[in-house]
Amino acid sequence: MSGAGLGRRFPWLSYLVVVTGAVLTVVPFLDMVMTSFKGPGEAGTLPYRFLPEAFDLSNYRAAVDQLDLPVLFRNSVVATAVITGSVLLTSSLAGYALAKLRFPGRDLVFRLVLATMMFPPFLFFIPRFLILVHWPLAGGNDLWGRGGAGLTVSIAALAMPFLVNGFGIFLMRQFMVAIPDEVLEAARIDGAGEFAVWWRIVVPQTKPVVVTLGLLTFVDAWNEYIWALLVSTANPDVMTLPVGIQLLQDHVDPARTMPIVMAGLVLSVLPVLILFLLLQKHYIRGVMLSGLK
Amino acid sequence: MVNALVPETAGRAPGPRAAEPGAGGLDRLRRRRRRQTVVAYLFLAPTLLFFAVFLVLPLGFALLLSLSRWSGFDLGDIDPVGPDNFAALFADGATFLTPVLTNTLLFALGTVALALAGSVLVATCIDKLRFQGLWRTLYFLPIVTTVVAVGNVWKYMYEPGGLVNGVLNALGLGSVAFLQDPDTALPAVVVVQAWASLGTAILVLTAGLKSIPGTYYEAAALDGAGPVTVFRRITLPLLRPSLLFVCVTQFLIGLQSFALIIVMTKGGPGNATDVAALEMYRQAFSYGDWGAASAAAFVLFAVVLAVTLAQLWVFRRTGEDA
Repeated sequence: MSGAGLGRRFPWLSYLVVVTGAVLTVVPFLDMVMTSFKGPGEAGTLPYRFLPEAFDLSNYRAAVDQLDLPVLFRNSVVATAVITGSVLLTSSLAGYALAKLRFPGRDLVFRLVLATMMFPPFLFFIPRFLILVHWPLAGGNDLWGRGGAGLTVSIAALAMPFLVNGFGIFLMRQFMVAIPDEVLEAARIDGAGEFAVWWRIVVPQTKPVVVTLGLLTFVDAWNEYIWALLVSTANPDVMTLPVGIQLLQDHVDPARTMPIVMAGLVLSVLPVLILFLLLQKHYIRGVMLSGLK
Repeated sequence: MVNALVPETAGRAPGPRAAEPGAGGLDRLRRRRRRQTVVAYLFLAPTLLFFAVFLVLPLGFALLLSLSRWSGFDLGDIDPVGPDNFAALFADGATFLTPVLTNTLLFALGTVALALAGSVLVATCIDKLRFQGLWRTLYFLPIVTTVVAVGNVWKYMYEPGGLVNGVLNALGLGSVAFLQDPDTALPAVVVVQAWASLGTAILVLTAGLKSIPGTYYEAAALDGAGPVTVFRRITLPLLRPSLLFVCVTQFLIGLQSFALIIVMTKGGPGNATDVAALEMYRQAFSYGDWGAASAAAFVLFAVVLAVTLAQLWVFRRTGEDA
């Protein structure tokens, strides 16, 4: 029913607040798009003008060339795909074991999964990076992890710390608990192994969670910045879109390159934005479930 | 969230009682149990391996580093020096307590205050409007956008020739060097962080508002209560769990965030926007002081953990479910 009642008594006031807020939310995005069309010397000069003089597409061409955009795109796509695939697979497998199989140590493992959610990500940046750099017998390292760049030479380093997600396991497990045991038992009596039970019966029933978790993971992985920045300093070949665009922004004369940076940002934001617009119900449900955005 | 933290143990035995009694049945049952154990750990193997390599090992390594001096090159050179790194963080003349930790708290508190005020305002107004889906989509845009885009667009808008100063100039006001002035840099970054978290806060509060029974409002209307009274006496108290949830989660996120600050100010000017997680990052990757960086990480972790436990305690005590 009605909220504070304000909306009913003063509808125009409510519209004013909501529309003002929405405009404030959208204007930075519009400014980004408008700036991406501005010509050289047109951005960042006084007086400020919102609209470009002409809708100049050359910044997009410049972004593709100067940013090495195809390589950045490829790295972002590979990392995001590997992370999303791995999180879905491991969450589903672990969630099934924790929800539907009986084995000694199950409660202990479940508690461990919950405990992992208590540790904030910033705690792990340094040691994980050092562990990858000093990984024995990889990337030119000797047995004691000396001499080379370790696992950071591989594009897999971008994905490694995100391959398993405690929240994902938790979400899957909670959803799978609700699947009736009788269905699984019937399949087992028919001779189906546990793997077949999981793949043929459980996985199809968890489609809604798969979409939600997949979408949350995809967006996070695509937008991830700090870890990708660390790995890229060790190995510039695996630079992702956010890292590459930030590098251009940091190192070149901002007044001249701002439109190019904005063009790069528009292109890098677009895939996630389209995905969000298509599947926003699932995404928003995921945010409600995690509550931690 | 909190209810779900209690693992259920009852009612999930996969029907062993259905098996026929007798020695053969028991044997088969035992074999099946063993097979389920093997399968379960097979299914859990990737997860447990990941936990070992990317959670337990790094945690131990970080703890060791926080108590050591190390050049970063040879693992054999790690020199355990005890709590020196922690002592150095809080020594006289060190910047960690002020301004770094102070900045961190101001950043987190400022974000919570702004996001809360904005989301309460919008959520109470949005409830009965048309085009709800459209508003929600718009308010959610910043959440799905990478911090590099958010940070750079706002950084550009704060510049002398940017949108914000353009509006100020159009109103006849002078330009402000938002990110270059140590007095305005932190508030300027706080605004961006709050702007980016508004969508989630509105979502949680809208859900909270929807769960308030409409009969309360009808009764208040019959009693002739004005909108301000209704808001203060009905909406706010019943919205308390949602408000508390938004406060705590946004506060925790604010304590840990530093990506936006790296993009916008790199902690500057001076250390006006230096926060604890950024200081950890800089000590490690700019100065190679792994010990100081790890110690800073654990101090911040202690703060985060204290807030988390306080939140759990409050929710348990009041029996409220976020």
